[in-house]
Amino acid sequence: MKQLIILGFLLFSFGGNAQDLLPDVSLKTLEGTTTSLSEATASKSLVVISLWATWCVPCIKELDAISEVYQDWQDETEVSLIAISIDDARTVKRVKPMINGKGWDYTILLDTNNDVKRALGAATVPLTILVKDGVIVYRHSGYAPGAEDELYEQILANAK
Amino acid sequence: MKYLLAICGLAAALNVSGQTPQGSLFGGFESNSQWLLDDFDLKVSASEPGFIAPEDAFRANSYFQLNYNYGEFTAGLQHESYMPSALLGYSPTFDNQNGIATYYLNFKHDQLDLTAGYFYEQFGNGLILRGWEDRQLGINSAFQGVRAKFNPTEYIAFTGLIGQQRNGFELSEGVINAFDLNVDLSQKMQWSLLDLRIGGSYVNRFQDRGTNSLIPTNVAAYSGRLDWGSGQFYGGIEAIKKDPDVIANEGTLVSNRLYDGTALQANIGYSKKGLGTSATFRRLENFSFYSDRLAEGNQFNQELINYTPALTKQQDYLLTNIYVYNAQPRLITDPLDQRAGEVGVQSDLFFSFPKESTLGKIGTKVAANFSYWAGLDATFYEDQSYDVAFIGEGNRYFRDINTEIKNRWSKTFNSVLTYQNIIADKGVVLGGPLGSQGDIKATILVAEGTYKLGKGRSVRGVLQYLSTEQDRKNWSGAVVEYNFNAKWSIYAADAYNYGGEGKIHYYNTGGSFTKGRTRFAMNYGRQRGGLICVGGVCRFVPENNGFSMNLNVTF
Repeated sequence: MKQLIILGFLLFSFGGNAQDLLPDVSLKTLEGTTTSLSEATASKSLVVISLWATWCVPCIKELDAISEVYQDWQDETEVSLIAISIDDARTVKRVKPMINGKGWDYTILLDTNNDVKRALGAATVPLTILVKDGVIVYRHSGYAPGAEDELYEQILANAK
Repeated sequence: MKYLLAICGLAAALNVSGQTPQGSLFGGFESNSQWLLDDFDLKVSASEPGFIAPEDAFRANSYFQLNYNYGEFTAGLQHESYMPSALLGYSPTFDNQNGIATYYLNFKHDQLDLTAGYFYEQFGNGLILRGWEDRQLGINSAFQGVRAKFNPTEYIAFTGLIGQQRNGFELSEGVINAFDLNVDLSQKMQWSLLDLRIGGSYVNRFQDRGTNSLIPTNVAAYSGRLDWGSGQFYGGIEAIKKDPDVIANEGTLVSNRLYDGTALQANIGYSKKGLGTSATFRRLENFSFYSDRLAEGNQFNQELINYTPALTKQQDYLLTNIYVYNAQPRLITDPLDQRAGEVGVQSDLFFSFPKESTLGKIGTKVAANFSYWAGLDATFYEDQSYDVAFIGEGNRYFRDINTEIKNRWSKTFNSVLTYQNIIADKGVVLGGPLGSQGDIKATILVAEGTYKLGKGRSVRGVLQYLSTEQDRKNWSGAVVEYNFNAKWSIYAADAYNYGGEGKIHYYNTGGSFTKGRTRFAMNYGRQRGGLICVGGVCRFVPENNGFSMNLNVTF
């Protein structure tokens, strides 16, 4: 425990600012090519990143709910959504048929060995974050029906 | 500790010498604790004592993770504590442990990515190598050593590593060295109609053999794989061969006889907007690979080099999680329980009705899933050798047919209906020899509805029913959840086993608070004993009763 406290102090005294910057971790596209979080968000000013999995019922509900209003969101705020699947080898083969079967219009990326999940410190999914110009401005874990409305309020506040 | 100081020193040095003193710190804290309580009514038959809380009634698993990034360098560590004991059902190697569990230093520059310390890695499907962490399962199979990733061009990716595997707070006896190469052929050849990638891996375990010169010190596995996509079709195949090695059971060698192992996985799929299908075939023969030859088959999944998850649909409801499959890759020659591995298929269908159609107007989305897994059809001989068919007609271990229909009736109400029919071998679900104890046949129905009340408030209700003639007979279940807003949520749930010998309610109630970087959840109730499965890997949890708390903060 002592080591830990010392270490904590050391690290904090470096003056590192808390992680509001989007960590730059590499991940895969559905086609199998390697990309990175910064590359995927580079061309967009306002991006919602949602960590999800095919086996996570609340995740699917959240993405289904947003899917219903996604077109409106895009028209009004030019926000785009990147859904990063944390499915591992067991279920990753279900990602492609599922997103098509669902008819989602999101950009889908794969985090098969959970590097993004670790870098964002997500203990559970869904984790939804709003990124403006590479900086995380809002984050929320878990999903309760209606949470997408609160997310949209944040999007509106950060659009412009 | 030495490593730690070096990391800190380096990070500090970087901080001083850098032009712009802008490093970034990130990490998180997670604590899962439980307070176990006596419950004399928690028993299946009258002769049992019920649940008696162990001496360490309060237990907590805590994880504190810190990372510091500065330019091309990132350093980090994870402190773990399991005081005074790990949560019920975790490997006893964690009990009463407290300390720095992992640390690393990473350097990234253009095509090069170097890591020293602990790292996670996966080759291909993970069938040949996967170092990963799952806190709910008590698995952390990170490698400790050195890893280099090198991408000389856009279409070639190379990874090499050497290290020992983490085992609790210690390291495996075996040393792993491994290479992985992936080539994106279509990118190299500038093909536009066909997307084609090939890859290969080599994973070797070196382990001292002491005085027994009949067993190998080096055991290697070799894999080749190919993934393709063309238009709306896609697929892949991976084949692995593992050198002859001894088999072990409960920490001792079965004999000095050597057996080689193989794995084959193939998948194919078709998808377009509104429709998706996929099918996967997998055959595993004597295919367990541990960083210590004596760790084979340990019930806590420690020291596993590779990853052979159950390829079945991962279920999420109370009663759909009672009879679950667990992959059976092992070769066992014991006359009472002979098996050589598993073979089977899984397929999925996802379909959304077009918005204009009658069913589309109520947002109908259908998902169907089928899986069938059987033991390999093998004949065993007296000298402990065996013959095996490629597919054959081995014992059925698991068969699952399930469908799910989702509807969005209005802006405020949506529903999910689930039907599942399972045939599971008793040995797979309850333990003991496979293929000789008979089957459990169960049908499960689940109806779920969510009603949005506006201003973030919503109520969710779930009704569940499980019918079976075997095991503990019928169950019913219900969940009610109320969300005050995106931050506060409470629930109450009950799974009632009313058909069996003991009539038991597994009641639970709790709530959670989520805001920004913090999530806190509390729960009180009974835990059904059995397999807790995450990602196709399961750990056994005994029946218990008590409070649990989860706190998670990220920064």
